[in-house]
Amino acid sequence: MVEKQKSVLNDGDASVPGDAVPDMVRIRINGKWYEFRVGIDIEPQATLAYLLREKLGLTGTKISCDTGECGACTVLVDGKATLSCMTVALSVDGHEVTTVEGLAMDDPVVMAFSHQCEHGYGTAMQCGYCTPGFVMSAKGLLNENPDPTEEEIRHALSGNLCRCGTYPAVLRAVQHVAEDMRNEREGAK
Amino acid sequence: MMDKKNPFTPRVPHKYIGQYTPRMDAYDKAIGIIKFSEDITTKRQFPDLLYMKILKSPYPHAKIKSVDTSKAEALPGVVGILKYTDPEIAGMKMTAASWTDGTATQNRIRGWAHGNEDRKILGDHAHLVGDELGVAIAAETLETAEEALKLLDVEWEVLPFAIKVEDAIKPDAPIFHPEINPDNNYLPCTEFTGPDTFVDRGDVDRAFAEADLVIENECTYGNAQQCALDYWNCLVDWGRDGKITVISDSYAADQTRMHFHDMLDVPLSKIRAISPYEGGQHGRGDTGDQPFFIVTALMAKKTGRPVKYRQTRKEHFHDTTTSMEAKIKIGAKKDGTITALDYDMLANDGAYCDLGIAGIKFVPKEWAEVCIGQTPNVRMTGKRVYTNIIPDSCMRSIGNVQMAYITGLAMDDLAENLGIDPIEMAIKNIGCHNVSNPNPCVEEIIRAGAREIGWEKRHATGQGDWFEGTKKRGMGFAVNNTWHTENHEYRRGPTQVMIKLNPDGTVILDAPTVEVGTGTNNCAVNACAETLGVRPEDVHWIAVQDTQTGLKDQVQTDSAVSYILSEAVYQCAMDLKSKLLDKVANKLNRKPEELDIDEGRVFVKASPEIGMTIKEYFDLIDIYTEDTLAPLTCYYNRPLSAEDFGTAYMATFVEVEVDTETGEAKVLKMAVASDGGTVLYPPGAEGQLVGGQCQGLGEGLYEQMIYDEATGIPLNFNFVDYHFPTMADFPEIEPIPMEIYKGRGEFGCSGMGEGSPCCTPRAIENAVYNAIGVRINSTPITPMKVLEALGKDGE
Repeated sequence: MVEKQKSVLNDGDASVPGDAVPDMVRIRINGKWYEFRVGIDIEPQATLAYLLREKLGLTGTKISCDTGECGACTVLVDGKATLSCMTVALSVDGHEVTTVEGLAMDDPVVMAFSHQCEHGYGTAMQCGYCTPGFVMSAKGLLNENPDPTEEEIRHALSGNLCRCGTYPAVLRAVQHVAEDMRNEREGAK
Repeated sequence: MMDKKNPFTPRVPHKYIGQYTPRMDAYDKAIGIIKFSEDITTKRQFPDLLYMKILKSPYPHAKIKSVDTSKAEALPGVVGILKYTDPEIAGMKMTAASWTDGTATQNRIRGWAHGNEDRKILGDHAHLVGDELGVAIAAETLETAEEALKLLDVEWEVLPFAIKVEDAIKPDAPIFHPEINPDNNYLPCTEFTGPDTFVDRGDVDRAFAEADLVIENECTYGNAQQCALDYWNCLVDWGRDGKITVISDSYAADQTRMHFHDMLDVPLSKIRAISPYEGGQHGRGDTGDQPFFIVTALMAKKTGRPVKYRQTRKEHFHDTTTSMEAKIKIGAKKDGTITALDYDMLANDGAYCDLGIAGIKFVPKEWAEVCIGQTPNVRMTGKRVYTNIIPDSCMRSIGNVQMAYITGLAMDDLAENLGIDPIEMAIKNIGCHNVSNPNPCVEEIIRAGAREIGWEKRHATGQGDWFEGTKKRGMGFAVNNTWHTENHEYRRGPTQVMIKLNPDGTVILDAPTVEVGTGTNNCAVNACAETLGVRPEDVHWIAVQDTQTGLKDQVQTDSAVSYILSEAVYQCAMDLKSKLLDKVANKLNRKPEELDIDEGRVFVKASPEIGMTIKEYFDLIDIYTEDTLAPLTCYYNRPLSAEDFGTAYMATFVEVEVDTETGEAKVLKMAVASDGGTVLYPPGAEGQLVGGQCQGLGEGLYEQMIYDEATGIPLNFNFVDYHFPTMADFPEIEPIPMEIYKGRGEFGCSGMGEGSPCCTPRAIENAVYNAIGVRINSTPITPMKVLEALGKDGE
């Protein structure tokens, strides 16, 4: 695999026609451009989740169901929450992928999940297996809707499963981020 | 969100214990730094690893007559094939779940399933659809291994099967495990399991004859699944030096190495088991009920390469809680005093013995002592029957959730018949054998939960108002003991922990257990920081359990680990503190008893301005003349004690709304009150009380594994068709952690996590009955069952 630094995002087409498998794909992952030779570095059917974990070692993205049912593999593609286990890696040629490793160390969603401990809700994770997926889904939601209602948060995050049942604390953490963002916007006015 | 109004107030104020602080691993988990076994066994880390898949039975009961592997062998990329006829496989002894009883891992004798070894590693006899047997294939890619499985030419002898207990116990039923029981499909009693009637206290028959009121009921407990997101996986490297390394998401590193030792006859010094963080345990089975561990090891030996096995979501539907049909008879005086209880339980054990004994005998026997310990006449009979579905095992709340469900039905019915408020009846009757009733803990937690839900507004059965034309509301509750931690500690054997005080004043804590999300790490760190007088953020807890370098890990079961570790850590920290104060006293020309430590600084209690930090002390040591090793390390072995303070209790209250047109039952609000003894880490405790409802609500309302009765094929082994609660399903839940009970030791904690869901299915069912006036009496309460109960299923 060849790693290259490029300064601009190639605004490619997300759909790859079935009969035209390219020789090479370029994907910007966490701010850095990567080139993969199809059939050599990655198989054409490889999922984005597989590419991230097995080829790049970005194991913050989890694979659980591997069939799009649990949300553990959620990453951002061009800022939108996307199930990486259901995304063929070739299809994000030219696009920008952000995994949990690509977030700032003080990312507000990460910090809100980390700090959540007020009475009545528990913590925003227990075992933590689903947590990066929840963080990325929350990022995707707030990118699209910086001021979500409780119902909108519940709806947006209901595709992320947590068997430890940390939903109330996750919901609360996302509300805290939204609240901080609102205060910041109002402060800026 | 609801206004949260029951913040926890500690019985004894502490500096760190009992405080609302962030989880110690929260940041690392949120930003994805935490490594699970899956994350340290990728192709990138082991470039020459092979992926292994095992043949699965398409039939619920069948034998392999022959397998032709030639086409699979010829597939490019296939590296190794193991077959049931290979001498190293065929000669392998039978195994069972948890021959080491899951917690005490020294020897085989104490095993729960000892005497019921019914699992063959890569055998030829399939006992359920999806049973892994016969042939294992290792290949360069997962896809190649999967493809090669399809090329196997298998000739099956298809045998008759049974999905339901009623079919398995018919006189002409096929015998599923003749090696265990040649006569019928009941699991035989062993020395460990005891007789079928395993509790027989007082004179039950006479008590019924003398009772003012006797009521009989029947109910069925369903078959939910653990549904951890981190599926069973392992990587085994069997080096040419004969050393085995196994990295897995087992919740028990020591148990894993003991299992390898037992099955493979390899010296323990040559087996290294590594268990890092685990993505949810929820009570799923043990090493012994997962034949893939040994198959993976044998494949690694055969190929000379690291071999990885990982289940898919479908394959991970592998074990379940104890599904049972139960009859209960209750006798009481007019004043509501229960005089006799008689239980008759029949469990669908599924394909293998595994840990099903927990649900139908082991826990109920203990439960009879600690939950209905003051009822003079009690009889419990439990039988297990082999069938051809996935086996029952040790799912979270095992035994207690079933007992709370069965008993809660009888008591609710009895209270209604006697015209007594069910919470008063519970306060009168529920309690421990060595504390007289009313048990203060039972009374306080019930009153706290009742206050929160607004119990005084509960209407008579079916007499509530209508909402939106078709909906009715109701309230219900159930009470149970929390986990009996002292008993579990006694069964495990002594515990060892280690604390290492570094010359800079930071601490390394080996309070060994696999972190599965329960927060025992926070509890152990809080206990260490509080006792030693250092800040929690200066205590590094050793997360990855490694049998080569670490201490023997405490298995994450029975909600006992926070209790056991916190007590051992307390003693160890006291020893270390005493050693340190002796040494610093010399430097300060004081007596040790004049000193204390706070935030890593030793000071004179009477003159706090006099003192030195731990770092300053170590800087002063002359290593050539002073007998002081830095770091300063202490080990502590907590001895066993048969002392028994009983248990604490919990109660769950729910308000439901039932749509009588659609049959949908919805929980509007819950209050979960639980006595933790000492709440070492409140956000973790509250997280358990709230989070456990994912399972409690699921078992109560949604979760069931469905099989096609004609073929035995499971129909919903995925997260779409097997629905467990999502954020959209979660009601408002008020957690009420309390401190009433106190057990043995400094903190005397009670278990909180495992029991969290155990009252929920019964509380929901009682609430549904209160709402619509008809009983459902089987989990889960699906819309279809509600409509049937209302007589509307024909509409």
